[in-house]
Amino acid sequence: MTELTLVEAVNLALHHEMEHDPNVIVLGEDVGDNGGVFRATVGLKQKYGLKRVIDTPLAEALIGGVTVGMATQGLRPVAEFQFQGFVFPALEHLMCHAARMRNRTRGRLTCPAVFRAPFGGGIHAPEHHSESVEALFAHTAGFKIVIPSSPQRAYGLLLAAIRSNDPVMFFEPKRIYRTVKSEVVDNGEALPLDTCFTLRKGRDITLVTWGACVVESLQAAQTLSNQGIEVEVIDLASIKPMDTTTIFRSLEKTGRLLVVHEASKTCGVGSELLARTAEHAMCLLKAPPKRVTGMDTIMPYYRNEDYYMIQEEDIVIAARELVEDWK
Amino acid sequence: MKTFNLPDLGEGLAESEIVKWHISVGDMVKLDQVVLTVETAKATVDVPAPYGGRIVSRHGEEGDVINIGALLLEIDETGAEQTASEQKQTADAATVVGNVSQHAHSVNVDDFWIGGEHNPSPDNLITALPSARLLAKKLGVDLDLVKGSGPDGLIVDADIYDEAGKQRPGTEVLKGARRTMVSTMAESHHNVAAVTITEEAVLEGWKQGEDISIRLVQAIVHACQEEPAMNAWFDAETMTRCVHSTVNIGIAVDSRHGLYVPVLRHADEYEPQEVRRWLDQTVQGIRERKIGREQLQHATITLSNFGAIAGIYATPVVTPPQVAIVGAGRIIEKVVIRDGQAVAVKAMPLSITFDHRACTGGEAARFTKVLAEHLRKPSV
Repeated sequence: MTELTLVEAVNLALHHEMEHDPNVIVLGEDVGDNGGVFRATVGLKQKYGLKRVIDTPLAEALIGGVTVGMATQGLRPVAEFQFQGFVFPALEHLMCHAARMRNRTRGRLTCPAVFRAPFGGGIHAPEHHSESVEALFAHTAGFKIVIPSSPQRAYGLLLAAIRSNDPVMFFEPKRIYRTVKSEVVDNGEALPLDTCFTLRKGRDITLVTWGACVVESLQAAQTLSNQGIEVEVIDLASIKPMDTTTIFRSLEKTGRLLVVHEASKTCGVGSELLARTAEHAMCLLKAPPKRVTGMDTIMPYYRNEDYYMIQEEDIVIAARELVEDWK
Repeated sequence: MKTFNLPDLGEGLAESEIVKWHISVGDMVKLDQVVLTVETAKATVDVPAPYGGRIVSRHGEEGDVINIGALLLEIDETGAEQTASEQKQTADAATVVGNVSQHAHSVNVDDFWIGGEHNPSPDNLITALPSARLLAKKLGVDLDLVKGSGPDGLIVDADIYDEAGKQRPGTEVLKGARRTMVSTMAESHHNVAAVTITEEAVLEGWKQGEDISIRLVQAIVHACQEEPAMNAWFDAETMTRCVHSTVNIGIAVDSRHGLYVPVLRHADEYEPQEVRRWLDQTVQGIRERKIGREQLQHATITLSNFGAIAGIYATPVVTPPQVAIVGAGRIIEKVVIRDGQAVAVKAMPLSITFDHRACTGGEAARFTKVLAEHLRKPSV
């Protein structure tokens, strides 16, 4: 079996689902002839034709509106925004229609759409190609939000997203599109959309992260292990619904919570995690929870990018403080 | 010799097809001379040479699809060396779409458990209020041994206090008078400018069985009347002093429940035998813990007759807002020289502490003098 990159696994999932469900449609800018700006949709148009793989104009509001229309009338569209930062012109369709369709029609219509978008910084691109705004959608009722961080999870979660009867925001960490590789089983099995994934066991700290930060978190966990601190690394993966059961179960063992995310700190998803921990698991804690996050600034241009991006060392320092300051 | 890899052509694409080579091995090329043409998914692009020099080797043939970062050329430079900062800039260059790294991470991101089923609740799961955890740490209490009394076995502060006595025998939580003593004494020690003056009262004329407490009360009343500055309340914050005309003596009484200081109000109006009756009733009340709060208030000066147990001199602690306390030590027998003769006498050691913020040394010394002289008087 060959190893696939994360973006190749996305492509594999799209191929699988288009083959097995004729209602699945792919649309977006350059997704057809070009195969997608990051190659996520390569080969789809050749195989499934221009009626099912649609190159749209450069008009994200159109992509949003057409997708909502298709989804409510029986198709399962998978729309691509070239970058998460381009989603804003489509917010009216996403937030006011896709997310509310089931509620507004009293259950008569659902909106089984997937909105894919690469997100995150660290690729020497301008700020509107680098943002992480998952919290914006998490705050909006009606969406599921999924962020895969490995090839196998990208495959299994995208299948689940396409099969979901409600709209899913599917954000792909493009910084690790091609830097993580693993064998992917193309068996058509979806992964659950309401659970997190435990990547590493540990007794001292529960580290919750998602997206590209999973890489630095695992590296930090290895470094910390050499220093005698064992970190349990959990990939949140499903931002919403949020699987706090798994996290609290881990906290029962560790009593220490560290959240790592690239998005800026204020009102980030980490805030929600800390709030729920305070509400439901405070008495498990041996130390105040900690966050390692991006800054409350606009993503800086490339020369200062590394100051914004979370480094392995930042995580190591925070983890050591969590343990050493609260023995 | 320098190597030249296929650069990112600006569309975020991973690969390109070689359309045409414009040079051969052995050719001399100039900086920015077009060396090959490649086709990306969107466009045909001429790729310029990044350095001048002789082509040493060429990799990939026309029609091959090659990845960004793949080796294209090796060039033997004849021209000027590129400076390090120029190299850095090349590496740092921003692109419109971004430069998605090809560099593979060595971490394994795809070894995972769905959820966390491998985390069963530990048998010794501890749920404790954060304050209880902190308390346990301070008291050296092992949380594993504590049985929580809160909801679902939650450990609360009270459980830690209870457990402290069991895990460390002899530990108790202070209550009542003993607890009050902590703050009163600490406040006094922190604020009062305490000076202790000592004196001996020679008790030549005392009858056998003289009531020491009555004599001390009488002497203090007299001394306060002679030197009222010591029978006062003082407040530094408002810079006020209240010199009292009546004498309310707080009398320190030791009990197993702690230190009590009941107040003999209007001590100046008491007959000697009434003082004794009041004392007996009060001590009895303290033993039975029946003394009311109002009986412990409004003292204007304090008496500590510690000598009834042991001790000669001491440095008693003033209780604000009072400004003075009289300590009476154990009555001693000593030899003095009188008219050239050694004479054995009985003497009561006195230790008077005063707040030097409120009283002068002179006032304290005069008070002490009057006090000692009054005690020296023979029994009535």
